[in-house]
Amino acid sequence: MSEVALLQLIGLTVVGCGILILLFITSKFLRVVGFVVIVLGTFTLIALGVPQMPSLPPAIETFDIAKVKTPDDLASIGQKIFFSKGQCALCHSIGPSESARCPDLKGIGAKLAPEFIYESLTEPQAYIYLDFRHEGLPKEYPARMPHINKNPIALSKQEIYSVIAFLQKMSGEPISVKVEDVLGVGEEGDVKVASVHGAY
Amino acid sequence: MKNPGTIETRHSWLPKVKPASLFGWSVVWTLLLLPACVWAQDAATQAMSVEYRDIPGLGSRNVIWVIAQQHLLLAGFVLGVPIFAWVCEIVGWKTKEARYDTLAKEFTKLLTSAYATTALFGGILLFLLIGLYPKLMAYLSDVFFPSFILYCILFLLETVTLYLYWYGWDAMQGNKKGFHLFLGFLLNLFALGIMIVPNAWATFQASPVVVADGTAIDRAWAATWNPTWWPVNIHRLIANVVLGGFICGAYAGIRYLLAASQAEREHYDWMGYVGNFIGVFGMLPLPFAGYWLMREIYQYNQQMGITLMGGFLAWLFILQAMLIGVLFLGANYYFWMGITYRIPGSEQSYKRPILAMLIVLMVCLGVWMTPHSLVASLEEARKMGGTHHPLLGVFGVMSAKMTVANLMILVTFMSFIMYWRAGKQETSGWAKMAKAVMGALLVIAGIAVIVLGVWGYFVPAIIRINYFSVAQVLIVLFIMITFTPLTAVLMKSAKTMTEMVWGRMPIRAAYCLVSNAVMVILLMSLMGYARSSSRVHWHVYGVMRDTSDYAYSPALGYAAAFMSLNTFVFCLLVAFIFWVATMGDKGKKGPERGQPAEEPAKIPMDATPAMAGGAPREGEATPKG
Amino acid sequence: MKGPLAQTGILLVGMYVFLKFILPLFTAPLPASLIFLYLALTVAAAMIFYTMSGAGLEEFMGPIGRFLTGEGQKGVATTARVMVFMLFPLLVGWQTYTKLAPSDVPPPENRTIHPAPPGEFVGLSNPFQKTQENIMMGKGLYAAFCSPCHGANFDGKGPASVGFNPPPANFGDPGTIAQLQESYLFWRIKKGGVGLPVEGMPWKSAMPRWEVELPDEWIWKIIMGEYDGAGQSPRTWEEEE
Repeated sequence: MSEVALLQLIGLTVVGCGILILLFITSKFLRVVGFVVIVLGTFTLIALGVPQMPSLPPAIETFDIAKVKTPDDLASIGQKIFFSKGQCALCHSIGPSESARCPDLKGIGAKLAPEFIYESLTEPQAYIYLDFRHEGLPKEYPARMPHINKNPIALSKQEIYSVIAFLQKMSGEPISVKVEDVLGVGEEGDVKVASVHGAY
Repeated sequence: MKNPGTIETRHSWLPKVKPASLFGWSVVWTLLLLPACVWAQDAATQAMSVEYRDIPGLGSRNVIWVIAQQHLLLAGFVLGVPIFAWVCEIVGWKTKEARYDTLAKEFTKLLTSAYATTALFGGILLFLLIGLYPKLMAYLSDVFFPSFILYCILFLLETVTLYLYWYGWDAMQGNKKGFHLFLGFLLNLFALGIMIVPNAWATFQASPVVVADGTAIDRAWAATWNPTWWPVNIHRLIANVVLGGFICGAYAGIRYLLAASQAEREHYDWMGYVGNFIGVFGMLPLPFAGYWLMREIYQYNQQMGITLMGGFLAWLFILQAMLIGVLFLGANYYFWMGITYRIPGSEQSYKRPILAMLIVLMVCLGVWMTPHSLVASLEEARKMGGTHHPLLGVFGVMSAKMTVANLMILVTFMSFIMYWRAGKQETSGWAKMAKAVMGALLVIAGIAVIVLGVWGYFVPAIIRINYFSVAQVLIVLFIMITFTPLTAVLMKSAKTMTEMVWGRMPIRAAYCLVSNAVMVILLMSLMGYARSSSRVHWHVYGVMRDTSDYAYSPALGYAAAFMSLNTFVFCLLVAFIFWVATMGDKGKKGPERGQPAEEPAKIPMDATPAMAGGAPREGEATPKG
Repeated sequence: MKGPLAQTGILLVGMYVFLKFILPLFTAPLPASLIFLYLALTVAAAMIFYTMSGAGLEEFMGPIGRFLTGEGQKGVATTARVMVFMLFPLLVGWQTYTKLAPSDVPPPENRTIHPAPPGEFVGLSNPFQKTQENIMMGKGLYAAFCSPCHGANFDGKGPASVGFNPPPANFGDPGTIAQLQESYLFWRIKKGGVGLPVEGMPWKSAMPRWEVELPDEWIWKIIMGEYDGAGQSPRTWEEEE
């Protein structure tokens, strides 16, 4: 018997019990219980009557270096990281959004060089605006950006490069992050992004 | 998610808790159950390797589902009743009517036992969560540790205040009443705190924000202020009042059925009326709070919004429409029966307006319950050219649903005003004038809501969401906010033509009250499921993935079976709490009854007793707005 | 026949005739599930209205109760009562049989037309400028790849559209692309029918998975061309564009 049929049987039995209570039992409280049971059973039966559709989780994907062949592959990995593990989309949007709490990243891959993006991700406080709107020395606006290469997000260098590749692609730019460079980057490796795209 | 390869050890039943979170848990446990400390200390020696544990046969998620729902419903009750009781107490204090004070006290008495039961279920829930979902709990305690402490402190304060409030009730009558009311205020304030602190934990799971560097307090603070925190707080606060009100109504309904004397019948009839009144009044703004929450979810993450409204949970909202429809009908039915039964001779004069309101309600309900994608056989779908009906498809979209929801609220509000004014006659000219103006305003508001709804089809979604829907809500709120005091003023000057007679409601009115309470509890279970399963396969949306066997979301029928089970168990729990709490009264009242319990069963409730019970109680039958 | 019971009966029959036979004269016929819903609401309304007062309850439920209990019945009524009692279980049995018996009729369709996209597609926006050149290029690509099914007029009536169930989307319908963001279209074009989640019934849609044939740039431009050609604009969170 399928799960739905089993549940329907249980529901019908429960409603039947409720009807029997209402028909034959005079205790007021039990009659109320019978009434409640009928209501709940009917609700369940109605819910079983609408199309049944469980939602299955998608397969878990991991960052598989062996499968990366083209910059586009890199960008599509970057896309997944951007929207999940990297948690970028918790604050940033690509394109205007009412809910974004941080700068819109649309076109950022065209505006900024990959090195600069890398630095912004790993050293968020490196270049920040100064606040002059008060007396005395200017104050720093501390960036609310976390260090992406450190806990709790802790992306690896490959992952950060993939995100940069994705951002460049989302700006309609040719991806300047090279697959070989990314594959060559070990945990201790240097920042090696081959060509600087002259955006500004 | 970070170590997908970690081996799950399902056999180890010893919990493993991060040392950092140990202290937090210890504090929580000390409050609830002392032995837990010993248990947790053992835990500290274990390695952090287990991500999930399962309960074979039952399934860890199912167990958590039942326990969490019981805890939540009880908590809603425990937080809703003080609001309810406090308002009643104030009304009693202002109007000098003792029966309101008695009612408030009767309900506060329930609090002590209900409070303990809630804490008990909270304790069980916490044990199970630590045991069954260690990975998630370690993460959450890492983020929220400071607010755990705050929660504990609030819990202590709430407990102390509750004891003072309850045990000091009789001692603080008279000139100390002001202080007692202040205690009631504090009780509600702490209760609000107790609700919103854990809300942050739950809403963070649905709409996390980046928790970066900083002190533990900074991190907890940042995580607390997540986008859906306040919408959920408001929604739950109002819903708790509704829950408290309707449970009071259901209790009164059952006691009304069991009542042995006319005096008892009158009392519980009146109590049922008050409960229903508070429930309905809370229910009217509730859809607006829900709308705000939904909007925040959509803005936070469109994927989650679509999952809820158009994706695999879309049918859930049709069920929700059905339950809300039954609730609205039940509440109105009770009002209408109140008019026909409590106000002698009014049946004929109110038949027409009631019919009109009923038709509007039914048409609205029909529109609301028409799904966007219809269930159709292949043949039918071919004729329609898809699962969208060319004509009725327009009922399926948000613009239509918002419009009918607003209209239903308006009609229910009208029902309430009509009930309030029933049996009264305006004497002065200006009152008649004001009445006419109110009628005209109501019609205009109704038309405006419809016009905005229809217009909403022809403008971009963002305009509709930002302006039209908001305007509809504001119109209805405006009507409610202006009409309530206006009617109160009108009623002051009005002459009472026919007094309300209590204790004459038929049996089905009592069942109607029970049904309303069941609907509210079911709705809370249903929407709790929606909130929780809109996260789909994430523990913390987009941050921590659920890698357990229960990462899938079950189909609606299976979920509905659990909702029904939860509702039933909760109803029994509440009945038990009421029974325990009123055991003492029965002992006192016992000898006074002197009648066999079966006897009243033979009196047909529908038969109109000849003005049984003598004179109605003094004072107005209707509360002051 | 003027009692509430008779009135309810007349109302129900009237509703049924209207929904089943009169409404289809003007538009497509309603599915049975919807007719059932509306009739159920009508019954509920009648019950609420007629049981508002004690007298009404008696008028409405009294005859039913008396019929079932057989109180003071004789002649035809008694026979009818016995008939009902005999027929009712048979009816339930027949209903159960028809529900469970194997049949070649496919189960009622309930496909979610616009399911939620995967997380990595929600927040994207078109990286290309909305220039005349890009739009023209998009339209050209549309004509080459999309128009065989979705039609040269963006109405879902291309030469290859016949025979598909579900039919190709009609972009002129305000319920399709006008309801969606560009990122949603990007996902649907890129991943095709097989990329749909389970509630979207991935095995039903014939939409190809275009990511294997078209570069992302083309897809973005096709989206631009589609909106322009169908005279629609994408759903946005901005108020002015």
